[in-house]
Amino acid sequence: MTSPAAHLSAVRVPKWAFAVALLGLIVTYLVLQENGLALGASSELLHEFFHDGRHALGVPCH
Amino acid sequence: MTTTYKSLALRGIAAGGIAGVASALVQLLVTEIPIRAALAVEEAREPSGDGHAHSHGEEELVSRGAQVVGGMLGVVIVGIAVGLVFATAYALSKRWFVDRTPFSRSFAFGAAVFGAVALLPWIKYPANPPAVGDPETVNYRTALYLGVVAAGLVIVWGASWLAERLRTRTQPVRVTAVLLAVVAAVAVVLLAFPAPPDTIPSDMPVNVLWQFRLSSLAQLATLYVGLGVVFGLLIDPATRRARAAEKAAIA
Repeated sequence: MTSPAAHLSAVRVPKWAFAVALLGLIVTYLVLQENGLALGASSELLHEFFHDGRHALGVPCH
Repeated sequence: MTTTYKSLALRGIAAGGIAGVASALVQLLVTEIPIRAALAVEEAREPSGDGHAHSHGEEELVSRGAQVVGGMLGVVIVGIAVGLVFATAYALSKRWFVDRTPFSRSFAFGAAVFGAVALLPWIKYPANPPAVGDPETVNYRTALYLGVVAAGLVIVWGASWLAERLRTRTQPVRVTAVLLAVVAAVAVVLLAFPAPPDTIPSDMPVNVLWQFRLSSLAQLATLYVGLGVVFGLLIDPATRRARAAEKAAIA
């Protein structure tokens, strides 16, 4: 009997998948952690706009 | 079929978006209540509201209304981004509960990710509402927080590795051994990382603080466990078989 997940082990993950995952991490960082390290002055606007979400998701703030 | 990376990634985006919307609704209806109470504490502290990044005086950068909407939007964006990473990790997984259905695998993965990147850091460094937190220590606190998140992910990876190594043992032995190893690893992480550097200001009511922390945990659970459930629904052929059967019945 084949395992239910057998078709999944056949998934071929292309190289660009890592770029996609990295993009996901960068977006997460920009929304949750941007304190001026990467974007400088414009980060404050971003920081304030996403303010409640960052607090709510338990990320260190201020 | 969900046999290509692209199809998994698209389902990761969809599942992340749906879980993000659900989490954003929890935020609007639950977490915003203690956030409002905490902002009132902050307001009472500095009535002039000058200079501070979170001032609510005339020089505010983003209005309160925009912050509520922006906060929800941020959660949805994070949901989609995490969904992409989740789908990629899922596609790469070679050991994770391989004898289970795709739905069970995804659900268990969502629960494990919740434990690693939300529950564990929440236990070590509980979420704080506005009006708590020294701006001077934010980078240090962020480093500690990310360190615990990384340690949590290593524990999940290690548990999966150990379960694979013990696959010749009986299931009760294997499950017990993996659970003991996870508990030991979590205990080491909780002991090894330093205590949270900030003290809670005395003007922050304890009930507001804990209402916020529990709301935050509920929201994180909605996001990560929701992601695992919805992604599982979207990728499991059993879901499509049921739908195909319905279609066939109609035709």
